[in-house]
Amino acid sequence: MGDGWEVNFRNLEIMNKSHTLKLLKQMLGPDKDFRPGQWEAIEAVAVKKQRALVVQRTGWGKSLVYFLATKLLREQGAGPTILISPLLSLMRNQIEAAERIGIRALTINSANRQEWAEVEAMLANDVCDLMLISPERLNNEHFLKTVLPKISGRIGLFVVDEAHCISDWGHDFRPDYRRIVRIIQMLPKGVPVLGTTATANNRVVQDVQEQMGPGLTVLRGPLIRESLRLQNIRLATQSERLAWLAENLPKFNGSGIIYCLTKADTEFVAGWLKQKGFSAEAYHAGNDSGIDRQSLEQAFLKNEIKILVATVALGMGFDKPDIAFVIHFQRPGSVVAYYQQVGRAGRALPKSYGILMSGAEDDDIQNYFIDSAFPEERVFTEILRVLQEHESLSIGDILAKVNTTFGMAEKALSLLELDRAVGQTYDRKKLYFRTPHPWKPDTERINRVLALRRSELAEMQDYVDHQGCLMAYLLEVLDDPNPSPCGRCANCQGRGFGAAVGEGLVIEAERFLKGAEVTIKVRQLWPAGLFPDQKSKIPIECQNEPGRSLSLYGDAGWGKHVAAGKYRDNHFSDALVQASAELIRNNWNPVPFPAWVTCIPSLRHPKLVPDFAWRLAQVLGIPYYPVLLRKRNAPEQKTMQNSSMQAANVLDTIAIESKIPSRAVLLVDDIVDSGWTLMMAGYLLKQNGSGAVYPFTLAKATGRTVNG
Amino acid sequence: MSISLDSQAILLLCSQIGLILNPEYKALTLRDWNPLAKSLQVAGMRPGNLLGMSTGDMVEGVGVSSEEALRYAYLLQRSGALAIELERLESLGIFALTRADKDYPKRYRQRLKEAAPAVLFYAGDYALLGQPGIAVVGSRHLDEVGQACAEFVGNACGLSGKVLYSGGARGVDTISMDAALQSRGTAVGVLANSLETAIRHPAYREALGRGDLCFVTPYSPNASFSVGTAMGRNRLIYTLADYAVVVASDAEKGGTWAGATEALKAKWLPVFVLEHPAMPEGNKALIKKGGIPLPHPLPVGHEALSSWLEENATNLDPDPEQLSFF
Repeated sequence: MGDGWEVNFRNLEIMNKSHTLKLLKQMLGPDKDFRPGQWEAIEAVAVKKQRALVVQRTGWGKSLVYFLATKLLREQGAGPTILISPLLSLMRNQIEAAERIGIRALTINSANRQEWAEVEAMLANDVCDLMLISPERLNNEHFLKTVLPKISGRIGLFVVDEAHCISDWGHDFRPDYRRIVRIIQMLPKGVPVLGTTATANNRVVQDVQEQMGPGLTVLRGPLIRESLRLQNIRLATQSERLAWLAENLPKFNGSGIIYCLTKADTEFVAGWLKQKGFSAEAYHAGNDSGIDRQSLEQAFLKNEIKILVATVALGMGFDKPDIAFVIHFQRPGSVVAYYQQVGRAGRALPKSYGILMSGAEDDDIQNYFIDSAFPEERVFTEILRVLQEHESLSIGDILAKVNTTFGMAEKALSLLELDRAVGQTYDRKKLYFRTPHPWKPDTERINRVLALRRSELAEMQDYVDHQGCLMAYLLEVLDDPNPSPCGRCANCQGRGFGAAVGEGLVIEAERFLKGAEVTIKVRQLWPAGLFPDQKSKIPIECQNEPGRSLSLYGDAGWGKHVAAGKYRDNHFSDALVQASAELIRNNWNPVPFPAWVTCIPSLRHPKLVPDFAWRLAQVLGIPYYPVLLRKRNAPEQKTMQNSSMQAANVLDTIAIESKIPSRAVLLVDDIVDSGWTLMMAGYLLKQNGSGAVYPFTLAKATGRTVNG
Repeated sequence: MSISLDSQAILLLCSQIGLILNPEYKALTLRDWNPLAKSLQVAGMRPGNLLGMSTGDMVEGVGVSSEEALRYAYLLQRSGALAIELERLESLGIFALTRADKDYPKRYRQRLKEAAPAVLFYAGDYALLGQPGIAVVGSRHLDEVGQACAEFVGNACGLSGKVLYSGGARGVDTISMDAALQSRGTAVGVLANSLETAIRHPAYREALGRGDLCFVTPYSPNASFSVGTAMGRNRLIYTLADYAVVVASDAEKGGTWAGATEALKAKWLPVFVLEHPAMPEGNKALIKKGGIPLPHPLPVGHEALSSWLEENATNLDPDPEQLSFF
């Protein structure tokens, strides 16, 4: 062999590269060429059949890499590529580009069930070249038993998108990725694996390298964004920040994203902007809000919507090249998260803005996220205990026996599943069962992750106060090989947008926050596990009408007054009574209008709510009848962590002992959380002959959720 | 747990894992696998060498026909699906052992030779497989004497530190297995079906987790029951144990009869047959065929059963040396 063999090999390499470049031009246009690093990544997986990790900023073109690699592998007779990604779907323009070289990319997810049969037929005929699936789907029975066998298990290339999620040193470690690692470790050497990420510091890269096994080629590019102008603006109150947005948004040309930390924040920011005449929509993953994320993304891509007010749900893989600004209404929890979000701006623009606003509530919210990141140890052990006693249980069965929230139970189950202590099966509904694997709480791991989150938060707090180049600060934290001052950020330039806002606009924003309508939705189903033999639906004649809350608890606007009244003064102010009456009469005005008022009683604060309800009735000019009674001193409803336990708690403790009017009633309470108290009390009122029941509360608790 | 290349190849060739319902080529039976294993040995190769080999290389290097090579290549290409499915099974507590693993039960190799299953799936502690112990077999429907005997042998195993081997099915199997576990002993259930659901039973799950129980099966972990698999599994109970006790058997028919006569003929181990005035016809016939009578009421207490069996066993040929094959 010797020299001759080497020459041949070199020739082959050149041939491969020029062939691939031809394909690239076919996809993107004749004047296009590889970006630095792209060919190396393609070569590693498609020619050398290695495992590679690509760390490149978003917009660098990682999809091009896996499309071209797929093409080369398919030409060699390999099976289709499996792309594991938290994305909902690939971007339309990417799919079209891939089709130009005959690569057909398909998606299987829970949202496109109606397309599965077609996708599966294409897989069976080997006409699908790349299949996008979510990490959860790898453990889905349908996928394992029906989809995977369609390609006879031939996986040509295994792509792991957002590979930094593998590392629990990463800012958004996803438990599902632990399963991916185990699968990669079991894949035979001949199956190439490609991990891609835009955000990984050295520690994360090292961790991913350790977990994906030796022989992983790491290909790393610079992270700097040439067009981005960073600036930090501090405005403590939400009304000041709303006013700032209204005043400054017209100065930006083009479309942009405003990131908020919670769903509720996206709703009222979007509401305010709409009121001020901006084309803005809220975007989050709330499943009860009727938000169609995919169509919002499409409308935003086409610039039919100018501003998306989004939680982190607008995240990975979303690629719009002409975003002119990314503004943070609140400060994110880590530099990595911030850079990922702000980095969406200006991918194909000469100039773009990344503005970080921070306010008084930021730390509260971030600390809440950190504190609720993991279920308490008690939840894990109690779930395992009840599972141990049964062959299998649904999550509803579990919640009837374990006092925790649905969200926490779900989180605990998914972590237990990844620890292999719990398995799931399907028999008309999802069932969980205990496996024989031993389990003990990994307190050390949890503490390590929590400590990391806290230190990341501190880094972000430092960023807000940083006096030097903002870009250089971010790049340094991200271990960019070559961070240097950008010359463009507000600190480098010594100027930027002013933080001052007009007083009139601030007052208007304040009024907007106080007037924001908060609805209490109708509960239509009994909590799972409460009445095991009853139908799950509450009879329509026993349901409440939709209700209203004056505010969001503790938030700007009336929320702070409610908190003070409940926990400091033990008295709700006349201002709250007036504001409530105005809201009920002018904004809400339900038909038929309530003819009398009653309230949820409490033994702990026997006067607080009745006194308020009585004064409210007076202002509304209708009678107040305290017909609901507390039977005994029940545990506070908020200590009951899930619906089944809350509803049972109400039934055990509230009674009606007098005759009640048959006309519509306003049912008053101070704070609504899950709504089970109001639902069960309404049910009792209806059972005893009252007319329509309209729930009204001073505030609605804001269950903050990390995934927004 | 990572898995050796040899085991990967054997699982791809000889198991149903990740295979479609009506595949172009079926997985290899033992009858197909043994000649291939021999060819590999002759060529100085191991099963793992087949991974990534072209059909041409198989024909030339291993000496198989081109039709066989196509079948092997077809089966071997599903390594991605195998990885995903094995990971899922391992999360549930189910692991695979192949004839290429050093932990594969020695007694299967010694006693069954080429008839030893190429692939086993198990949950619990595999180290129990082949530890000194007593097999209990018999039909699902038992009279009172049979029940008492099944329970007695189970307790005896628990109290004397022997493994109780059974088929893990209802009746005699569960009675003796439960008795062994309740007396803080250990047990092995050789299942004919549904390993995946068997391990969810709360009592067994706990014993599996403690390492007191091992469920093993030569079939797919989600295989459903069939008479054929139940028959094929019987020899896998006998060949793990030192002694077997047939509690109740029909004559000339049924799985217990077939398994017991096979064991007597193969002389794998001394086979005892429960003897009492109301014993079934099959018990009488098995004693005539060389089964050693075990009188009921039992002649000794729990602790002494094992040594009583040893004293009353007729000598069989010692187990041959371990063979090296995969």
